[in-house]
Amino acid sequence: MSKERHYLPKGREIEIFTLAAENRLPVLIKGPTGCGKTRFVEHMAERLGRPVYTVACHDDLTAADLVGRHLIGAEGTYWQDGPLTRAVREGGICYLDEVVEARKDTTVVLHPLSDHRRVLPVERTGEMIEAHPDFMLVISYNPGYQNLLKGLKPSTRQRFVAMSFDYPDPEQEVVIVCQESGVDKQQAQQLVALGNDLRRLKDHDLEEAASTRLLIYAARMIGAGLSPREACLACLAQPLSDEAETLSAIERLIQAYF
Amino acid sequence: MEEFVGELWHKLITRQARTDFEAARVQLSELQTQLGLYFRALGGDPGKGLEGADSRLLETRRRLVQRLAGTHRRFPVCWQDERSLRLPPSIACFPEAELNTSLYFWLTALSAQLPRIGHWFVDNQRATLALLEKRPGLAEGYWRLADATLVSRPSLDTLQGAEREREMVIQQAIRQPGSVDRLPLAKGDPLPVPLWVYPAPLRALAPSTRDDLEDQGDGSRAEESLEGSRKQAERFDDSKQTDGLLVFKLECLFSWAEQVELDRCQEENLEEDPGSAAEDLDIISLSRQRRAGAARIKFDLDLPAPQQDDLPLGEGIRLPEWDHRRQALINDYCLLQPMLADDALPAPLPEHLRRQARQLKDRFALLRPERRMQRRQPQGEEIDLDAWMEFCTQPTRAETCHNLYLDRSQPHRDLACLLLADLSLSTEAGLGGDQRVIDVIRDSLVLFAEALSGSRDPFAIYGFSSIKNKQVRYQLLKNFGERYGDEARGRLLAIKPGFYTRMGAAIRQSTAVLQTQKASQRLLLILSDGKPNDIDRYEGRYGIEDTRQAVLEARQQGLQPFCVTIDDAGNDYLPYLFGDRGYTVISDPDRLPVMLPRLYLNLTGNGR
Ligand SMILES: Nc1ncnc2c1ncn2[C@@H]1O[C@H](COP(=O)(O)OP(=O)(O)O)[C@@H](O)[C@H]1O
Ligand SMILES: [Mg+2]
Repeated sequence: MSKERHYLPKGREIEIFTLAAENRLPVLIKGPTGCGKTRFVEHMAERLGRPVYTVACHDDLTAADLVGRHLIGAEGTYWQDGPLTRAVREGGICYLDEVVEARKDTTVVLHPLSDHRRVLPVERTGEMIEAHPDFMLVISYNPGYQNLLKGLKPSTRQRFVAMSFDYPDPEQEVVIVCQESGVDKQQAQQLVALGNDLRRLKDHDLEEAASTRLLIYAARMIGAGLSPREACLACLAQPLSDEAETLSAIERLIQAYF
Repeated sequence: MEEFVGELWHKLITRQARTDFEAARVQLSELQTQLGLYFRALGGDPGKGLEGADSRLLETRRRLVQRLAGTHRRFPVCWQDERSLRLPPSIACFPEAELNTSLYFWLTALSAQLPRIGHWFVDNQRATLALLEKRPGLAEGYWRLADATLVSRPSLDTLQGAEREREMVIQQAIRQPGSVDRLPLAKGDPLPVPLWVYPAPLRALAPSTRDDLEDQGDGSRAEESLEGSRKQAERFDDSKQTDGLLVFKLECLFSWAEQVELDRCQEENLEEDPGSAAEDLDIISLSRQRRAGAARIKFDLDLPAPQQDDLPLGEGIRLPEWDHRRQALINDYCLLQPMLADDALPAPLPEHLRRQARQLKDRFALLRPERRMQRRQPQGEEIDLDAWMEFCTQPTRAETCHNLYLDRSQPHRDLACLLLADLSLSTEAGLGGDQRVIDVIRDSLVLFAEALSGSRDPFAIYGFSSIKNKQVRYQLLKNFGERYGDEARGRLLAIKPGFYTRMGAAIRQSTAVLQTQKASQRLLLILSDGKPNDIDRYEGRYGIEDTRQAVLEARQQGLQPFCVTIDDAGNDYLPYLFGDRGYTVISDPDRLPVMLPRLYLNLTGNGR
């Protein structure tokens, strides 16, 4: 994983993130799946020279999963830091991906870390850890309507510098697809145009839009020798729907390009 | 005998005259869903529906046998307006079904590319070029269609003079889109080009668009349409096979009314005299027909006499409405009147629902929310190892330790549901037998209430109907505060069909009611039997957009709106209103009463 993480900025996010980091402020990134949030955070971590601890949140995630727990070893029980605690001690970035998936009581441990106090109380060991100056908390979520009900508590979101991400502009996305997959520009252009057609179907016909990630997958499959039609079906149609009619219509759409 | 020969002759001659390929005929209904999606993906307006096009009367040159058979006068050409994209109800232009299917997709793509037609002949070529450029995969299909179309065009040898000239130019335009920009004038209409989109026939009636008509080219017969609606009506006289003239006139009237009215942006002031509803009486009947077909004109135009009417509660509530043309909410535009049927007598459960009600009630009584392990309980099914470990490693260990168990949580359902039922006039329609829609809705409401009273989930039930913006009647059937019992049941059993369906206002009010509930999941279930509509401009696109807006608002406030409909055409517009997963169509209305509670279980996460 030492390979440098390319990231093509869409706007001023690099500057904003850097300033937030310098000022020790936590950051919230909103945006649909696969639009480059994770990539951006990894890229920024490299830029700032800080380790990054990524946690993919889910609804069984407990505070202990973040903070740490006692384990049993040869010499009895010992304490092991969770990813959050490690980042707090070492001065790294703790990135909580899809934070709305976590239950609300779990995210409460973030509160004292994400305001001026910058401390992490570890109840179980009785410790009160003061955050390293380079510690940074970053959370992300996808504000699609299936998440609206879950949402993020206002008291939580009030503590963050927030940025909103979206899929890149077509020209940029073409560059990204080329870079990440090695297909030629013309093919990338077709893929991106198809992707944008599919994005128009979001909410009305499809729950999720075709992400940059999926476009890259399709491009890689094409690069590896699969025919463009098959690659698009496998990477851009099947992952987005299970409905036979929807799939047939998307197949037609693919044929409009390849 | 003579008659028999005559019939035979007719059949024979019709067959001779036919240019369609029956065996390869493709129906729109089979492709409708796919075409809708295709249209939206290619940039077509997602608010537009997709319908079968009426046949348009065109004066083309006919072969003798076609004249004898009386065929080839009407052609179902593709066109669109603000409301929807119209495609031929079926296509059999080409000998292979695959080509006919492919023509549907082509027309859909071209329509998405060409939302407005200025000049029929030029625009179609231009849009074709643009489309092929943008989506190169379409080229192969286009050329196949073009070749097949050229084969079916009249041979140039059979034509003379200007007509020949014109046909030559059209063929050239098909063969090389973008290569000709003038269509020579000639007698009559050219044989329609199946590959092309036609202008909307009624645009001529909207004064603001007259200018565009000057050069619509022959295909649109602009000169004729300018003469007004009368001529239009004639042109389309038997456009619908059943009761053509009437239906068409209504169609015409309403498309026209919709446009003109919106152009004037006529707004009715709430302060105005409400008596003006009387003037709308025939529009009511027309609109009614339009919705339900001429077969069911019969209905009582009278408003309920005040003393028989339900008890209005308070002065009414002013609500905004969304005007999509201005992209803005008009404040205080609707007056919603909460009503209570205070004279409905308390009633027991009707005999025919008893068995189902008992089953549902039992099933709902068993409802448990998602079972979760509770940590650190004083007692429980399993040891909480985490807690134990922590206890063992605690720096200052207490003498005794409690709370070392995992236990399953007590059922605690944190949700509230408001059921909003469409009680518009259309619910009076029959369902075959002597069942009417309203009966099915009534049974559904009762069973729903029985089931939910079993689970003890808080719920409320309201009904609504409207007569224009000033009278949105909002019937309180059971509110959140009231315990469900004979009284509420009596009100549910007493529901009657009302008037129209101003859905936006009813949704906004329900949102406000549901907002008073503290539950973390708040479900707004809407039970409907058709599109939003009312007798003012709340028809078609306007009503759809307002409803969509109301649904979006509800969602933004953290509610979960969901629509259950028995309208078979629901798939056409409901995704736009409620999103892909926000609705369900129950095609067999008889099943509604049992489906509704089941749906509720699915939506509240207990149906798994
Ligand atoms: N701006 C960008 N620069 C470079 N690659 C990008 C960019 N945006 C998206 N990508 C590509 O898209 C993929 C998916 O992005 P990811 O960060 O995983 O999405 P998210 O975290 O938003 O779900 C990445 O692996 C990367 O290849
Ligand atoms: Mg990610």
